[in-house]
Amino acid sequence: MTSPTKLRILPLADFKPAASSRAWVSIPNPNNLPLLATATSDKTARVYSLKNFTLHSTLEGGHSRSVRSVAWKPAAGSNGVLSIATGSFDATMGIWRRSEEEASGGGVEVEISELGEEKDEEADWEFAIVLEGHDSEVKNVAYSPSGQWLASCSRDKSVWIWEDIGEEGDDEFETIAVLQEHEADVKFVCWRKDDGNGEVLASASYDETIRFWKGDDEGEWSQIALLKGHEGIVWCLDWEPEVSMKMFAVESDSMNEYIQQTPRLISSSSDCSIRIWSIAPAPPPPNRPSYFNTGIPSTMRPGPTNETWECTATLPKAHDLPIYSIRWSKKSGRVVSTGGDGKIVIYEETKKGRTSVGGEIEREWVIIGSIEGAHGPYEINHVAWCTRFDAGRKEEGEEMVISTGDDGAVRAWAIEDIVEKGDGAVDPDAMNGVLMARGAQVTGVIYRSGTGLKGHQKYQDLNDI
Amino acid sequence: MGSVALDNANPTILNVSELPSHRQRRRQNDGSSNKDGIRDLLMSKPSYSLDPFYMSDFSDTDSDDSSVEPIDVHEIYDLIAPISDPEHPLSLASLGVVKLEDVHLTSPLDHSNPSALSRVLVELTPTVTHCSLATVIGLGVRVRLEQALPPSYRVEVKIKKDTHSQADDVNKQLADKERVAAALENANLIGLLRKMMKPCMEE
Repeated sequence: MTSPTKLRILPLADFKPAASSRAWVSIPNPNNLPLLATATSDKTARVYSLKNFTLHSTLEGGHSRSVRSVAWKPAAGSNGVLSIATGSFDATMGIWRRSEEEASGGGVEVEISELGEEKDEEADWEFAIVLEGHDSEVKNVAYSPSGQWLASCSRDKSVWIWEDIGEEGDDEFETIAVLQEHEADVKFVCWRKDDGNGEVLASASYDETIRFWKGDDEGEWSQIALLKGHEGIVWCLDWEPEVSMKMFAVESDSMNEYIQQTPRLISSSSDCSIRIWSIAPAPPPPNRPSYFNTGIPSTMRPGPTNETWECTATLPKAHDLPIYSIRWSKKSGRVVSTGGDGKIVIYEETKKGRTSVGGEIEREWVIIGSIEGAHGPYEINHVAWCTRFDAGRKEEGEEMVISTGDDGAVRAWAIEDIVEKGDGAVDPDAMNGVLMARGAQVTGVIYRSGTGLKGHQKYQDLNDI
Repeated sequence: MGSVALDNANPTILNVSELPSHRQRRRQNDGSSNKDGIRDLLMSKPSYSLDPFYMSDFSDTDSDDSSVEPIDVHEIYDLIAPISDPEHPLSLASLGVVKLEDVHLTSPLDHSNPSALSRVLVELTPTVTHCSLATVIGLGVRVRLEQALPPSYRVEVKIKKDTHSQADDVNKQLADKERVAAALENANLIGLLRKMMKPCMEE
């Protein structure tokens, strides 16, 4: 029986300067560069330094409405070119590159450490290409872990898969698939790592379902799973990291067992629940007599295998307003969530023990830390796990939490385990940190009407806002 | 909306003198009432350099000052009652779409905590059960309250039970923050909202 850890979530820093209007998401660079990209309703994306929590550069001039989402392209080559995709309410996506002349030489690391000197911060990101195709607001964009695919989803109910077919810097994208099974806005897309059979995309929708998509050998993409259960808009998804898959495989006979496992999926919703989904065991192959096997090769190419998924756990209820964001830590296997109620909550999956000798280990999700009013009275739109690069970190690879709110603020939170004293009592000073809500020293939310609208924004029917 | 056939050409209109109003009371207590917030939104004025709480009709910076009364349902009603119907030059209150008894407020027990949330629920009664503008009216009410009330107020706008054929659909849209945010960047809807909000600014 493992006793659950307790955490404190402590204010570490605010990224400066903050946006003066709603900020939607903040995504850490996936290639261990000390950079964070934030999408804001002021039509820009910002790149902040994780070393000193200040603005590194701004991606502006590419969109005519809110930038709703950002995605870093996972580094493919070694040429040091940084690439960011943005998705906007103006129905377009942007691909931004950091020009090579400036990226070469010192490289990003050096430039960041020299931040504050006379660097030209405006010129270093180039709006390389605009991707058009969606009929209305683009809600989310996501690169596949390999960097081969870029997925986008929209208010127009569709999921698009794009392939970067050009050499690095050629800016050529091809539409690979337009997937239209969802019955309403698609809010979120999230890629599953290639398990040897190709990368799988998961999408979450206003229609309360989650769907999985996969390409076959000929590049035809189709739906391979439909997950029903949420009773509200599904806002966010994340795939189980390896650390979590290993955690419960360690005690089994084979240390490598987790490798064959399919990662679980976590989802959050307007129904105020967070659910864990697991693949159901594949039905055994039909046990047919061997004379059925004629040896004649079939000309029918089998499509991607459909998967059956079921909800196998629900996290303890901690939110009473929509849960807009959840992330599963690749380092610790913990889950963090946030939403309209302004809380940040951290969960851990623990072993409850076995029900029988040699039986399956029972698991249980518990809340190990939370903080209320993390952005004062404002709603929080996004939360992320992020490696610390600042001077105050205790160790290499230490993790923090980044929250992004309606106040335009992006905040870094340090995570500290609460050390129990010898008598088992929790240090009362430590608890103060957990309960401390921050003051409301925040800038106001500013809604601005759109200007310079795209021609193809359609609102024929006012019944639909 | 001139080209659109009216959903309800002959709505019942309530006598203005019969409508509840408590506006005077707050006026006397709080002369600093700031009407610029909604005006800025609707007139597209640049608003970056303004006071962070410029949108609030009620400043909550001194919310722990016991001399300031907490916001009550009457004041919330007064914020939305004058909103004009998109089809008729009449207020939502006079059409009976907004009713005082359908404005609900849940306040936190601890007023000293600036992060404690208040919850506002407004139930609308459309003039006809097939009113195609119910969503836009609901959007106007939600936007008016979100901009006029302090940021600790979470606003929910719903169609009153059994008063609209597509109430669930309308309610779900109005509760979707992302759709509401996108609607406020849509020129057509902004134009319509501006028209609806005009009476709120003329007070």
